[in-house]
Amino acid sequence: MKLSFYPGCSLEGMANDYCESIYAVFKTLGIDLVEIEDWSCCGATAAHSLSEVMSVILPARNLAAADKMGLDIICPCSLCFNRLLFSQKMIKKKIFHIPWHVTGDTRVLDMTRFLAKPSIIKLIKQCVLKPLDSLKVVCYYGCQMVRPPKITGYADYENPQTLDHISAAAGARVIDWSYKSTCCGASIGIGRREIVESLSKRILQKTQQAGAEAIVVSCPLCQSNLDIVQKDRSEPPTPIFYITELLRLSFNYKGNPKWFKMHVADPVPLLKAKGLL
Amino acid sequence: MHNSISDPETATEYDSCEQREFIGDRGDYFLNRIQGETGVNVSACYQCERCTNACPISGFMDIKPHQIIRYVQLGWRIRLLKSSTIWLCLSCEMCTTYCPNEVDVAEIINHLRMMAARSSITPKEKSLAVFHHTFLEELIKSGRVNEFRLMRAYYSKPDILHAKIKNGTFKQELQLAMTLLRKGRLKLSAPKSKAVKEIQKAYFQTRGEIS
Ligand code: SF4
Ligand code: SF4
Repeated sequence: MKLSFYPGCSLEGMANDYCESIYAVFKTLGIDLVEIEDWSCCGATAAHSLSEVMSVILPARNLAAADKMGLDIICPCSLCFNRLLFSQKMIKKKIFHIPWHVTGDTRVLDMTRFLAKPSIIKLIKQCVLKPLDSLKVVCYYGCQMVRPPKITGYADYENPQTLDHISAAAGARVIDWSYKSTCCGASIGIGRREIVESLSKRILQKTQQAGAEAIVVSCPLCQSNLDIVQKDRSEPPTPIFYITELLRLSFNYKGNPKWFKMHVADPVPLLKAKGLL
Repeated sequence: MHNSISDPETATEYDSCEQREFIGDRGDYFLNRIQGETGVNVSACYQCERCTNACPISGFMDIKPHQIIRYVQLGWRIRLLKSSTIWLCLSCEMCTTYCPNEVDVAEIINHLRMMAARSSITPKEKSLAVFHHTFLEELIKSGRVNEFRLMRAYYSKPDILHAKIKNGTFKQELQLAMTLLRKGRLKLSAPKSKAVKEIQKAYFQTRGEIS
């Protein structure tokens, strides 16, 4: 199987470890990822906030490049996923002039939904060498991946399940909780740190109350918010794993502590204690 | 019928209207404009406040989401564009998702933000407004956004550094940057997209500039 891959800017910078783990996991699963040639930024919140036309045109450029490849696009970043789908909707309306030739028909898949397909879950289960059954986790979806349902197509936006299914397939003990899609504060921390801290700290507190030891996410911005807010905490850290990091861990007999060196809330002690490293 | 205006008891309580806010100066012009531009049926709102209750940061806002909708109906344009809400909103879409009348509150707020960005009104949350602009500038410059370059550009904007030093958050942010650098999360350089020229051309065209 072959998919075109749209990493997005975060995966080149702050979430470089995410990118690495994605490639490792898809290699084990035997699925080829072809990076969209010369991709550019999707415009993120800024284009959305300041210029409607740019918020359509910028993702359209990547959709045009993917059209040429003729493969479904897989998108690990929630915001990119949301922006690409939004742009597709607007392209179909045919009211904006798009400088590139683009049909808007290429399928855009959110990575977690792709991995949670029954056939892929089966494949994952076959690849697991070391089930993570001692690890208690909660799954956190954030906003852009599930909302607004009209754009993202999530019917279960109040209680999404994709990450839960994938983590369970890797053998982790998934705990149900009610903060799956509460906002973490997104990029507001740039100007107003206190808002991000209050939102992210609440999510961490609820994680502990649910009895989980770690959070599983798929959005690079959620990861960095929840991770960075723990910088000066004295309590034992609550590691924030990308879903593919968990999968990679379960696909190997012996994990490598180097995989987690970019985390601020260091997961190594927890994983060592659980005998997973 | 009892006439309270001519009632000798209350006649002295003359309402000078000074405290009152006028309904939008051109009737429902503003309401119609917003409805037309966004395709959202703002008039459907019956002020149930579900949007505000769903909003994770309504506590930090000066005009709450349901009030935003009401103010649009009343045509209070300036008040809306001067509010902190339009800049604080996280576009988390909670409000939109839970509105029983399908009022797309997040879209309305986003639209107001775009209007405010083009207006001459000084944004109430300057640091956030400047951040959005810086992000777009960086994007146009290199096609992709690198966090380090973005932050460097952001801090060299007028007043940003000064304000951060003044409210004491600068030291914290510097420490944070050092931690991220040590962890290898801040990449000092990043590849650019080869499409910069195309993107710039499209951008200048959207702004009505010919390049
Ligand atoms: S939830 Fe909808 S109907 Fe209720 S106050 Fe908000 S916008 Fe109005
Ligand atoms: S989109 Fe904005 S107004 Fe709506 S719930 Fe989220 S933060 Fe609040």
